[in-house]
Amino acid sequence: MKKTSPVAADVSPRQISSNEVSRALTSAPTKENSLLREWHGPLSAELTLHPGNFGLGKVPARLRPDATTRSVCGFCSTGCSLDVHLQSGQAVNLTPTVDYPVNLGMACPKGWEALTCLAAPDRATMPLLRNPKTGKLEPTDWDEAMQVFTLKFKALMDQHGPESVAVLSTGQICTEEMAFLGALFKFGMGGLHADSNTRQCMATSHVAYKQSFGFDAPPYTYADFEESDVLVFIGSNLCIAHPIMWQRVLRNKKNPAVIVVDPRKTETALNATQHLALRPKSDLTLLYGIANLLAQNGWVDHGFIKRSTTNYEAFIEFIRQFTPDKVAAETGLTVGELYRFAETIHQGKAVSFWWTMGVNQSHESTRTAQAIINLALMTGNIGRPGTGANSITGQCNAMGSRLFANATSLLGGRDFLKAEHREHVAKVLHIEPSRIPAKNSLAYDQIIQGIADGKIKGLWVIATNSIHSWIDSAKLDSVFDKLEFLVVQDMFTTTDTAKRAHLILPAAGWGEKEGTFINSERRFGHVKKVSRAPGQALSDFSIFRLVAEYWGCADMFTQWTSPQAAFQIIKKLSSGQPCDITGIEDYRHLDAEGGIQWPFPELRSAKFGVRNGESASTPQDSALRTPHSAFKERRLFADGKFFLPDGKAYFYFDAPRSVSEPTDKDFPFVLLTGRGTSAQWHTNTRTGKSAVLRTLYPAEPYLEIHPNDATRLRIEPNSRVAIISRRARIEVTAIVTPTAQLGAVFIPMHYDVTNQLTKAEFDPHSRQPSYKYCAVRVEAIKA
Amino acid sequence: MTFDEKPATPTPRSRSANGVKAGEASTLIDALLAEQRQLTAVEEFSRSHDAHEARGQRYKKLLPASAPAPGQQYAFEVDLDKCSGCKACVTACHSLNGLDDDETWRSVGQLISGDWRTPAKQVVTTACHHCVDPGCLNGCPVLAYDKDPVTGIVKHLDDQCIGCQYCVMKCPYEVPQYLPKRGIVRKCDMCSARLAAGEAPACVQACPNEAIKITVVDQSRVRGKYRQLATLNFRSSTNSPATNLFLPDSPNPAITLPTTRYVTTRTLPADLEAEDAHDVQPSKAHVPLTFLLVLSQLGVGLTLLSALADGRSRMIAIAALVATLIAVNLGTLHLGQPLKAWRGFLGWRKSWFSRELIAFGAFIGALSLHVVILHPLSAILAACTGLAAVFCSAMIYVDTRRPFWNAPMTFGKFFSTTLLLGGAGALGFGESTTALVAVLAGTATKLAFENRIFRFLVDEQDPHLTALNKTALLLNDRFAFTSRARVFCALIGGIVLPLIAALTNHSTILLTVAALTFCLAGELIERHLFFVAEVAPKMPGGVA
Repeated sequence: MKKTSPVAADVSPRQISSNEVSRALTSAPTKENSLLREWHGPLSAELTLHPGNFGLGKVPARLRPDATTRSVCGFCSTGCSLDVHLQSGQAVNLTPTVDYPVNLGMACPKGWEALTCLAAPDRATMPLLRNPKTGKLEPTDWDEAMQVFTLKFKALMDQHGPESVAVLSTGQICTEEMAFLGALFKFGMGGLHADSNTRQCMATSHVAYKQSFGFDAPPYTYADFEESDVLVFIGSNLCIAHPIMWQRVLRNKKNPAVIVVDPRKTETALNATQHLALRPKSDLTLLYGIANLLAQNGWVDHGFIKRSTTNYEAFIEFIRQFTPDKVAAETGLTVGELYRFAETIHQGKAVSFWWTMGVNQSHESTRTAQAIINLALMTGNIGRPGTGANSITGQCNAMGSRLFANATSLLGGRDFLKAEHREHVAKVLHIEPSRIPAKNSLAYDQIIQGIADGKIKGLWVIATNSIHSWIDSAKLDSVFDKLEFLVVQDMFTTTDTAKRAHLILPAAGWGEKEGTFINSERRFGHVKKVSRAPGQALSDFSIFRLVAEYWGCADMFTQWTSPQAAFQIIKKLSSGQPCDITGIEDYRHLDAEGGIQWPFPELRSAKFGVRNGESASTPQDSALRTPHSAFKERRLFADGKFFLPDGKAYFYFDAPRSVSEPTDKDFPFVLLTGRGTSAQWHTNTRTGKSAVLRTLYPAEPYLEIHPNDATRLRIEPNSRVAIISRRARIEVTAIVTPTAQLGAVFIPMHYDVTNQLTKAEFDPHSRQPSYKYCAVRVEAIKA
Repeated sequence: MTFDEKPATPTPRSRSANGVKAGEASTLIDALLAEQRQLTAVEEFSRSHDAHEARGQRYKKLLPASAPAPGQQYAFEVDLDKCSGCKACVTACHSLNGLDDDETWRSVGQLISGDWRTPAKQVVTTACHHCVDPGCLNGCPVLAYDKDPVTGIVKHLDDQCIGCQYCVMKCPYEVPQYLPKRGIVRKCDMCSARLAAGEAPACVQACPNEAIKITVVDQSRVRGKYRQLATLNFRSSTNSPATNLFLPDSPNPAITLPTTRYVTTRTLPADLEAEDAHDVQPSKAHVPLTFLLVLSQLGVGLTLLSALADGRSRMIAIAALVATLIAVNLGTLHLGQPLKAWRGFLGWRKSWFSRELIAFGAFIGALSLHVVILHPLSAILAACTGLAAVFCSAMIYVDTRRPFWNAPMTFGKFFSTTLLLGGAGALGFGESTTALVAVLAGTATKLAFENRIFRFLVDEQDPHLTALNKTALLLNDRFAFTSRARVFCALIGGIVLPLIAALTNHSTILLTVAALTFCLAGELIERHLFFVAEVAPKMPGGVA
C-alpha cells in the first residue's frame, strides 16, 4: 500500500547492508566518563540490555533468563503462546512466542503483563474463615477450612436436599480442573446445580452450534481470517477485544471487504469497508432481511443446501416477510445498505461470518447466532478456507468449559438426560452410573433466583466475580445475604464476591499451575507452572483433591492424581465424540506441536504426518486429511457432513421479539455495555493489578454519548453525568464522541457500577443474559 | 448473613467422619503444599532456542536498509491506518526495557472528531520523537542529553542527570519522566542497543499490525517542513491544516522539530481533537522552586531598592544576601541528585537554567562584595547582576514556549515581584518614598498582569479549549479560593498596609512586618499558581 503522508520528507538514503547499519550505529566512539560527564554508571546500568539468548534478542540485564518455556496465555480465548523467561525455574519476564501458529510473536497488553498480577499484595495466601463473632475474615489452616467446607455443605445438603448447594465456576481455569470440579461436585458430592461464567459469554454459541450442527463445534481456524475475501463481523469489536485476531485480518492479502454490523462506530467499524450501524437489537431482523435478499436474488448455493442441510424450505418461506423496506425501517439502515451487504456476500468467493458478545448477550441471541449460521449455510460458505459461521470465544478456556465442565453438558459434550451417555461416562470413570444425575443443572440465572427464593443456601464460587459481572447486580447484595454458606475460591481476597465469603480458599493463578486451555479455534494449549504461588495458595486442582479427600469420596477419584493424569481421563472421555483428542499423547506432545486442534483422534498410525492417505469415514477424520504443513491450522466440515444424526445442518429460526424494556419517555436511551480497552479484562480483577495496564485505561467509569445528545442535554465533554435505569443510579464521566449512536450510550463492563443498571433478561434457549440493552436516562450533573 | 457457628467440635486432624483419617489428611495437605512449591516446567519442557535467530531480528524489514547519511537520522514512523489501538507497544516497551512498575516510555492516545457527521476516531501511539532540535537537550543544565551524531537518537545519560526536571518542562511531548524514587529522569532511547545489534526496538517488535517502524529522515527536510509554524504558539492553531503537518491537536512541531512521521492514506477530518482535550488537570506543584523564585526576587528587589537609595544600608544588603542564600538553598531541594548539581554550569551555551545558576553565582558574589564595601557602585553592580539573574529565571520558563509562561506575563510577574518585595522589604528598613512607590507600583502592575489571564476564561465561539483557556478555568474554578487569597494578600500587603503606613506617617515595625508578610504570602501563592495552573502541552491522550 502506498502511503501518502502529510509529511513529504522522502529521503534517498544510501543503500547499504544492515551489517553496515550496525557498524554505523556502533561506530560512534565509546564514550569514557570524565570529571564533567558521566556517560556510564550505576544508574545507566539499570537499563543496560544484554543478549537474552533463547532467541529472545536483547533483554534487561537483571532479567536475563537461564531458561525459557512456553505457556498459553490465561486471559482471552485467542490462546496466544508466551515464552516465559525463567531464572532458576521462576518466571521473571515474558515475550510472545514467535513460532506459534496462533499469535505469531505478538501479544496484547494483557498478555505482556500476565505475570504482574501474581505478585499483587491482595493475593489470598491463607484460607480465610469468617469469624461469626467479629464478622471478620480470619486466617485459618487448610485442615480447618476443609472441615468447615465439608461440614457446612453436608449439613445443608442433609437438611435441604442436594439441590440446596450450587457451584458457580469459570472459563478461566484449566480443562482438567473444570472436569475434576464437575465430576467431584456432581458425582462425588452429589450436587446438581453447577454453572459458570461462560453462561455470560458463550452459552449462546454453545446452544446455537449444538442445535444447528449437532455439536458445539466452532468450525474455523485463525488462518480463515487471512483467506476470506469477505469478512462479516457482527457484534464484534475485534480490534479491542481480540487484537491478535485482528492482526490476522490485517495480514489478509486479498484486500478483503470488511463488513461490521454494530450500533457503535467501534475501532473495528472504523476500519471496515462497510459499517452497518443498526439500531440496537435489530440484528435478527437484519440477518433475516439479508437472507431474504440472498434468496430472492438466487444468491444461494442450492447444491450445498440440498446435500448438507435440512429445513431450508421452511426457512425461506419464513423470511419472505423480511422485505428490504420493512428491514430498513426496523434497523434504521437504508435499503441501499442492505443490498450492498447482500451483494458483497454474493460476490465473495470465501465469505466468513464472525460474531461475539454483541450477538451472544441478547434476549434472542441463540436465534441470532443461528441466523448467522443460516447465512453461511445457504451461501455454502462453510468447510472451505476463508469461510464459516464463526463464534469468537471470550475467556481463555470457555471452550474447555463448554465441553468438559460437566455443568450444562455431561463430560465431553454429552447429555445428562441420555442413559447411554451416563453409562458410558460412568464406565470411563469407573464409577456407578447411578452417581451421575439424570437431570440437568439450573442455569446461572436460575441459581441466583434459587438463592433469592431461599432454595439454594450454599454456594461455591470459583474464579469468578459474580457480584460485579452478573446482570442487574444492584440486587445481588441482598440475594447473596440469603446464603447460609458462601465459599469463594480465588487468587484474590478483594473481589466484590470474595469480600462477602464465609470461607475463602486461596487459589494459585495462571502461571502457578499446570493444565490445558482450549482456544476459540478448538486448539488445546498447554499452561505451565512457572511461578510459586504465595503462602499456602494451592492450585484449583489440588483444592479439588482436598475436597474429595475431606468429603470422603476420594476413592472415586483415585485416577485424578495430577492435571497430567486428568488429561488422560479427558482424552478417554473425548473418545468417539466430535471433539475426540485421543491422538494427543500428553503435555509434551502438545508443547512440541504448538498446540493441537480438536478433533485429533487416535488413528491407526499415530503420527499425523502420514495421515494423508487415510480413508475418512467420519467428519473429523476428513478434517485430518490435510497435508502436514496445513495440519497446524484445520477447519471442520470440509466434506459437508455435520454432527446431527442425518449428517446435515439444520436451519433454525424464530420470529424476532421485542426487548422487555424498550426505551420510553422517562428512559429514552439504550444502554450498551462491552469491553472498553484491550488493557482491561472483564471485572479487572487481574488487569487492575498492573500499574502499566492502569495507565492504558480510564481509572473511573465513563459513558460514551453522541455529540447531539450531549448538546441537547447540556452535557459538557468530560463532565460528570448521572445514568439512571429502573434499577439504579450511577455517576460517571461523559465522553462525547460521534462514534456513539444517537440515542444509545455505552459504558464499559470493567467498572463495578455498570451492571447495577442492566436488566436481567435472558435468551430462552441459552439463558445468556442480555447485557446489551436496557433503557436509561442520562442527566448532566451541575458542577 | 446467616452464617452461624464454626463446627461444634473443631478437632483438627482428628476427625473420623467420612473416612478421612487424621494422618492421611494432614499428609495430603502437606504433600499438595510441597507439590505447589515445585517448579518443574524447565525440566519437563524447556527447549533450547539458542539456534534460533533473535526475536528482534525477525522484524528487520521494519528497520531501514541503510544507515543515516550526514544530515540524516533515525526516526519512528507510525502508520495510523494500521494502528488498531491494542497498546501492546506500551507494555512491550515496559517489559523488554525493564522499566519501573508504573514507568512507560510509550503512550497511546486518541483523536476524536467533534463533528457528528464525520464520526472518526484515530488511535495515536507516541514515544520520544528524537527531535532535530530537542528541547530536553537544549534545556539540560548538565549536558545529560546526547544527540548521537550518527543516528540522531536523543539519549539521556542517567548518571549525569541531577534530577532538575527542566527537560520535563522543555519537552512539549511529556517524554522525559521524573522518577522520584531514583531522583533522575529517564526516557526512550529508541532501543539503540537493539538497533546496534540489528534488532528492532521493543515497540516495533511488539506491534501486531506492523504500524511502527524505524526510518531514516533528512533533518533539513524536517526543519523546512515546520519552518512556517515557527511563529505559532502551542496549540494556538490546533485545528488548522498547518499543525496537521505533524499530527492534529498536538503541540506545535516547530519548537523542537520532532522526527516521528505519522502517515495515513486517509484524509483525517480537520476537526480531530484529542480525547482528553477537555480534561482540565492542574500541573505538578514545585514548592522548592516557588520559594526559590520568590525569595531570590526578594533578595534582588532589596538590592535594587538599596541601590536606588544610596546603597549605604548594610542591613538591607545583608537582608538581601540572606534572602538570596535561603532561596538558593531551598532551590536545591528541588533536585533529585543535589550532589551532582555543581556541574550545573555546563549547559550555559543553550540552557537558561545554567545561565540562571551562573547569574545567581555572580549576584551572590557582587552582593557579598557590596555587603563588605558598601559603595554606591558596588550596589549598582549587585543590582545589575541581580536583575540579570531574575531575567534568567524568567527566561527558564519563557523558553519552554508554554502559553501561560509567555514572555510578557512571566517578565511582568517576575520583575514586578522583584520590585514589590524589594519595596515591601525596604519599607521595614525605613526607606520610605522609593520603597512605597515600588511596593505600590509593583503590586498594581503585577495584579494587572495577572488579571490578563481571565480574558481567556470564556470563548463562546470556539468550543476548543486552548491551554490558556484551561489555565483560566483552573484559576477560576479549582483554584478559585487560592486565586482570591492571592489577590487579598496583595491588596493588604502591597496597597492597604503601605498606604496606612504612609498616610498616618506612622511606620511601625508591626505594620511593615505585616505588609512584608502579606506581600511574601501573596507572591508565594502567585508563584504556586504559576506552576499548578499551567497546562502542559502534550500529545493526544485519553481520558484518565
